[in-house]
Amino acid sequence: MVRFENVGMRYGLGPEILRDISFSLEKGSFHLLTGPSGAGKTSLLKLIYLAERPSRGAISMFGRDIATTPREELPALRRRIGVVFQDFRLLEHLTVFENVSLPRRVMGEYEAHYRAEVEELLLWVGLGNRLNAKPATLSGGEKQRVAIARAVVAKPELLLADEPTGNVDPEIGARIIRLFIELNRLGTCVMIATHDQRILEKLPATRIYRLAEGRLTVGQIHEQLGSEAKRA
Amino acid sequence: MNPNSSSGLMPSDSASGATLHTIVAVMSFLACLALGGVLTLGRLASEWTDGLSGSVTVQLLPSSQISPEDQMREAVRLVSQWPGIFSAKPLSRGDATALLEPWLGAGNVLDDLPVPQLIEVTLTPGQLVELDGLSRALADGVPGAQLDDHKRWNAELAGFATSSTAVGWSVLLLIGLATLAIVIFAAQAGLQTHREIVEVVHMIGARDVFIASEFQNHFLWLGIRGGIIGLLIALVTLVGSSFLWDSRGSPVAAQYLPQMVSAPYHYLWLLLVPCAMGLISMFTARFTVLRVLGRMP
Repeated sequence: MVRFENVGMRYGLGPEILRDISFSLEKGSFHLLTGPSGAGKTSLLKLIYLAERPSRGAISMFGRDIATTPREELPALRRRIGVVFQDFRLLEHLTVFENVSLPRRVMGEYEAHYRAEVEELLLWVGLGNRLNAKPATLSGGEKQRVAIARAVVAKPELLLADEPTGNVDPEIGARIIRLFIELNRLGTCVMIATHDQRILEKLPATRIYRLAEGRLTVGQIHEQLGSEAKRA
Repeated sequence: MNPNSSSGLMPSDSASGATLHTIVAVMSFLACLALGGVLTLGRLASEWTDGLSGSVTVQLLPSSQISPEDQMREAVRLVSQWPGIFSAKPLSRGDATALLEPWLGAGNVLDDLPVPQLIEVTLTPGQLVELDGLSRALADGVPGAQLDDHKRWNAELAGFATSSTAVGWSVLLLIGLATLAIVIFAAQAGLQTHREIVEVVHMIGARDVFIASEFQNHFLWLGIRGGIIGLLIALVTLVGSSFLWDSRGSPVAAQYLPQMVSAPYHYLWLLLVPCAMGLISMFTARFTVLRVLGRMP
């Protein structure tokens, strides 16, 4: 589904912040991405959701080599990816309902087709009574849930989440993780970038990527938890 | 076309809105005045040319060789017999006095000034008249007689009308270009202001044309609204100036100077200005946004 081979990335003429990144994400798999702040987690996610181009190396998405894919065909690939941005990136002048339904709207769907689904999804994330609220009136946790609902509303094949539980209380955090696990069971490949140890404990055995100084190492979740325990 | 009833992706109170409305309204106002001028000049040139092309004038200057009465009789006879002449009507003393009255005032001016006698000659429509031959025949046969076929006056009028119309169209073109440049800046500023929105929509899979259509619709209505405001101000100006002209102008001005947009169909042409403003704004915004989006990954 996603394959990185010796990918490097730099912004402008600055230093290379990602070096020799190689990994692959398979359909229906679950991945965690950890690492200290500034290690390049968000940049790596940006490469995956096609917001940036690599400086070197090869990226293949859904069987297409990104370097040779015409620009006008990239939106179709982006529609197969759901993204939960770290800073939510909600559109302040739109309501909660309009923000969540945005991916369906850009696909050209009529509101009548998706209205019930969006309302059901918002009910599920605990925002059933805030359909017409503007983001400015929402708490951090509510904004987080709107961002998650927007990312999953079009049933993406790949879901990327940057610190999705960073602003929510444990109960909502647990519901969000259950939502991700449920989506994963339905076949969605999930990758979560996080510092949150609670996520590590709640997840089934899965592959974990650790970014440090621009380089990526791969391990299993129980290994990570073991090393955390030893350090403690 | 957006298949939703939801809000537009661009906030309706976008940054450049009020300023751009004002600028487009001013441009529309100037365009209406320029278009009104062009249409009026075109109509006047046509009226003047049509009015003069079917007639010529014979002037009879006072001569010591012949009495004024014989001079008039001989000239009318010669002209009437010339092929292609429909009628030759001497202007009476009263007609001549009335013609001069706007410039020289009322009174018995013909008694004090050596004013030439005039014969108004109407040509037979559709028939070619050998005017050079008639001019020579008059000069040879009637002392003091001169034929004025209005050619010089006609040529000067046509030249004036053509150059003035060209200036009017140039002004319209410049207004269009200025509007285009302003909308390019406004669209770029709008993209910058709403960069966050554009990036998010881009990242969730919107095609460039979808984003551009949101911008172009916003600018289409902005252009039409600004254009209508400018048109309304221009109509008030034109109708108001015509009213003032009629109520306060001198008889000479009322008779000989043009009235702006006097033909009703001219007002229909002016309705095109807001439409043009809307279309210029829409297409300019579309191409500007597509060009900027093309630089994104």
